[in-house]
Amino acid sequence: MIKLTETVLNGLALGSVYALIALGFVVIFKASGVMNFAHGSLLLFGGYVTARLHDAIGFVSAVLVGAALAAALAGLVQLLATRGLRGAEIHTLTILTIGVDVLLSTELNRQVGADYLTMGDPWGADVTRLGSITVADARLASIVVAVVVISAFFAAFRWSRWGLSMRSAAADPEAAALMGIRLDRVRLIAWCVAGALAALAAVFLAAFPAPGLDRTTSQIALSAFPAAILGGMDSAVGALVGSLVIGLTAAMAAGYQSELSVLGAGFSDVAPYLVMVLVLLVRPTGLFGSKELTRV
Amino acid sequence: MRSTRLAPAAAVIAALALSATACSTKSGTDASSAGSDGVKTGPGVTEKTITLGALTDLTGPYASLGKSIVNAQQLYVDQLNASGGICGRTVKITVKDHGYDVQKAVSAFTETEPNVAAVSQMVGSPVVSSLSQELESKHLLTFPMAWASTLLGGEYVQVVGSTYDIDMINGVDHVVRTAKLKAGDKIGHVYFEGEYGKNALAGATYAAKKAKLKVVGQKIKPTDQDLTAQVTALKQAGVKAILISAGPRQTAALVGTAAAAGFAVPVLTSSPGFAPQLLATPVGPALEKMLQVVSPAPAFTDNPAMQKLAKDYKAKYPKDLLDPGVVSGWNAISVLGEDLKAACKAKDLTREGIAAAHRKQSRLTVLGVPLDFSDRTKPATYRSFIHKPAKTAPGGLTNVEPAHEVPAARTYALPKG
Amino acid sequence: MSDTRDTTGSLDATGSSDTTGTVDTLAAPAPATADSPSAQARWSGRLSPRGRRAATVAAGVLVLLALPFYVTSFWLQTGLFAMAAVIGAIGLNLLSGTTGQLSLGHAFFLAVGAYGYVWLAAEPSGTGAGSLYGLGLPPVLAFVLAIVLAGAAGGLFSPISGRLRGMYLGIATLALVFLGHHMMLNAPQVTGGFNGRSVPPLDILGFSFTDTSPDGLAVLGVPFGGLERLWYVGLALVTVAWLAARNILRGRPGRALGAVRDSEVAAAVMGVHLTRYRACAFIVSSMYAGAAGALLALVFKRVVPDHFGLLLSIDYLAMIVIGGLGSVGGAACGAVFVALIPHLLTKYADDLPLLTAPGTTGSGVSPGDAARYLYGTAIVLVLIFAPGGLAGLAHRRPRRKGDDSPRTRRFPLRTRTAPKEHTP
Repeated sequence: MIKLTETVLNGLALGSVYALIALGFVVIFKASGVMNFAHGSLLLFGGYVTARLHDAIGFVSAVLVGAALAAALAGLVQLLATRGLRGAEIHTLTILTIGVDVLLSTELNRQVGADYLTMGDPWGADVTRLGSITVADARLASIVVAVVVISAFFAAFRWSRWGLSMRSAAADPEAAALMGIRLDRVRLIAWCVAGALAALAAVFLAAFPAPGLDRTTSQIALSAFPAAILGGMDSAVGALVGSLVIGLTAAMAAGYQSELSVLGAGFSDVAPYLVMVLVLLVRPTGLFGSKELTRV
Repeated sequence: MRSTRLAPAAAVIAALALSATACSTKSGTDASSAGSDGVKTGPGVTEKTITLGALTDLTGPYASLGKSIVNAQQLYVDQLNASGGICGRTVKITVKDHGYDVQKAVSAFTETEPNVAAVSQMVGSPVVSSLSQELESKHLLTFPMAWASTLLGGEYVQVVGSTYDIDMINGVDHVVRTAKLKAGDKIGHVYFEGEYGKNALAGATYAAKKAKLKVVGQKIKPTDQDLTAQVTALKQAGVKAILISAGPRQTAALVGTAAAAGFAVPVLTSSPGFAPQLLATPVGPALEKMLQVVSPAPAFTDNPAMQKLAKDYKAKYPKDLLDPGVVSGWNAISVLGEDLKAACKAKDLTREGIAAAHRKQSRLTVLGVPLDFSDRTKPATYRSFIHKPAKTAPGGLTNVEPAHEVPAARTYALPKG
Repeated sequence: MSDTRDTTGSLDATGSSDTTGTVDTLAAPAPATADSPSAQARWSGRLSPRGRRAATVAAGVLVLLALPFYVTSFWLQTGLFAMAAVIGAIGLNLLSGTTGQLSLGHAFFLAVGAYGYVWLAAEPSGTGAGSLYGLGLPPVLAFVLAIVLAGAAGGLFSPISGRLRGMYLGIATLALVFLGHHMMLNAPQVTGGFNGRSVPPLDILGFSFTDTSPDGLAVLGVPFGGLERLWYVGLALVTVAWLAARNILRGRPGRALGAVRDSEVAAAVMGVHLTRYRACAFIVSSMYAGAAGALLALVFKRVVPDHFGLLLSIDYLAMIVIGGLGSVGGAACGAVFVALIPHLLTKYADDLPLLTAPGTTGSGVSPGDAARYLYGTAIVLVLIFAPGGLAGLAHRRPRRKGDDSPRTRRFPLRTRTAPKEHTP
């Protein structure tokens, strides 16, 4: 029972970090239809800025600056995409993000080098004991922060002007443009939000028990792909639920690896994908994705 | 219409193809020849220079390891050239970066292969296994930066030092003695998929069987960053010690998580699982408390040779940290340097001559460790050191137990590659 | 290395002189035979676009045929990698470019082809834990069956591929890459596990495509080793793949697939069997990937699971987009671009100015990093200056009359989620 509880808690913590990344994917996809392959680099960039600044300006301000700069960088990518490639199609933009990722990751890898950059977070190596269950404080913080940030995001999405523009732009870009919504600006903000969320995720990915931020941290962004898809690519709620499902699946498959040995060693890495494929077989647009309707 | 126009075109193509090939400048491979000083030379050796190849990772996941190895080998070559080189020739290393991409590595190998006499380092076990047949057929003495015992047995691919499985046998023996494990106890082993993990697991399983322990295995991937689930599982299984054969990041994650969970068991890793940079992170104190590193090489303070290496390296690369890569790179190039000296004495600097000289090295001491390369099916040494992390020590390690050999290591049947 | 550059230089000269040669041959008899004014216009003065095209193609073919006589094995090997990429990209283009089904699973089907060939052609070996299965079929048969096997794998996936659209299909196929990697590692008797398995050489009636058998083969004084011999196999495969794809695209199936991409409903109304065509596109594309994988295996001489990862899939996607979606030539251009550039940059990175060589002190950019910067920049620049892909560049020049149909290529990465209603 203790094992199950601890495994579930791990899964939730992991899922909450995935949610921050997956939400970024979803927001960018909703706004501009692009699958952002540069997300991992944005994440690493945000974390890198935080790691470099926390000594000078303190943890909280460093995180805020990191998120702001990652947002600015994401916005820059979007500007490059719309200004440099005016009128280009979506697939071209998607591949553009690959090129941007190559550039960014090379530079960041050069900067980070062989180091493990610490985040200077206040939780350090502290743990909380609940009965016989032990959880790292950084883990609990990641769940709390993810819940707060995601709720704020949902509120903004539901009630703010930007949220309304965003939803209408996603529903029908042409109609939205005709109604006076500036699509470019909506997209720009969407990219910025995604960048900031990625930077936040980086902080928790690099926090204890991980040793710190290093050049491989960006790879975790890929694990959020199935989370975004599983929930439904155009649904923010879906991203949240999908992330939790994927986090729990990964944690369970790893925690019960010896019981699952029939499926081959190292099964925990493919389990999320398997769950995703099974879900997609039943619901081709994910759990919460809007159904594809065709009227003639 | 179409065919009538294509016919003359085809004729022209054929004619031109024939005439063009007649003046091709591409010639066959140059056979070995004797230089003016009576030394037989082959590819990669001229009157003035001896060129060595290095296929390494400077932009991919093992970039920090690759950089240390390159630096250490360049340091050796500089010192060698300053003392007169080999047979009056200066030694040069052609470094090619493959970023841990097999296709790039194969391509870079094909490019450099015709112009090198031997390969001083090859990083990446998929790269080594992709190229091992080529290396054997081109008679190219190669030092892989991987220590799986499955790489033993080739005439030209040479692992320097003890292998992962032998290290683990020595390591398990140390853990059993120091943690006072009893028959029937469990030990956990977290290992990477691939040759590194598999080979280490084979050694650990054998040693555990000898000590009547049970191994609880947990396989992970190099992309895994979070080992909480694995630690939870091992804790529930009630293991008394954990072995980890993974990268530094995973070691840190494991120790950090175990410490956070109040699960204070000894953790043992091989030298690729440790990096001194880890000691400056929040996990540092836990590492100093729980981790031990089993290594074929001594720590930087252990003997005069190591101290000199540490001093020279710091002098040449003041910004770079001393890490296990420095020692691995230095080891390999030292052995190769000795081979070249012996080949020079035998007046045969062809690839075959270098390899033959290498195979005769049965009592070579590098950095205070005696190595024997006369039997290609056996590791060059069966002894391992046990170190523990220490933030202030150069290279982040201090010695706990000097090199020793466990009887079980000799009875262990090495897996065939 | 310097002699290579000299020969490349002379090659260019040969290439261009040939072009003019062909032009002369073609243009000379023209005035005598041409009677109609239109034909006269065509033949007199400059060559017709069609003739020019034929001449260019002929020159290109000549250069490709003659290359093994001049260039070193590095270039041949890199060229063979590019050929495998061309075959794979043509296949992916049929699927993603023409039918609009996004696939990130191409690496998986390449792996099926590569491992399929090895498994079918290799003799069983070893005992106990280290034993390897193999059917020991003749290599040519194994090659063909490996392609069929990859097609079958694509067919097995069709229940999923038939249901999913756009990005969902993309990520679902991405799952194939990860599941495939898992299987490769966990079926060591077939795949050889993490360290892979050596590839049995291709051989046709005793003529082996390796450095031996016949030993020391030389053609016109040039030694013909494994890479030189494989070069022509690669060329033949590319030709077959290219022509087959063109026939598919120009025929009934191509129009049907294009219709499916543009509007599934319209296609269905016009009598296109949607499920069947979508499944067929997937199967054919997988077979192309299988052929590419098997060729790649022959060049590598050893297959390892790590090569067939997500990055390879992304590379293929980049190839068809950079080349220009929907056209066979575009896919080939993109494949050559993506397959060659990193190798060339790595090769020449050492010669770039202002770099810090590995092993020296200094904080400059290392050649490896420089190669990656240039690669990233190249992708971005190509997309900015040729958003329609490299093929789009070629089509920018004024076209003949009657050929001015707009070339719009849509790629529904994005699924329209809400129906657009036009109620009167």
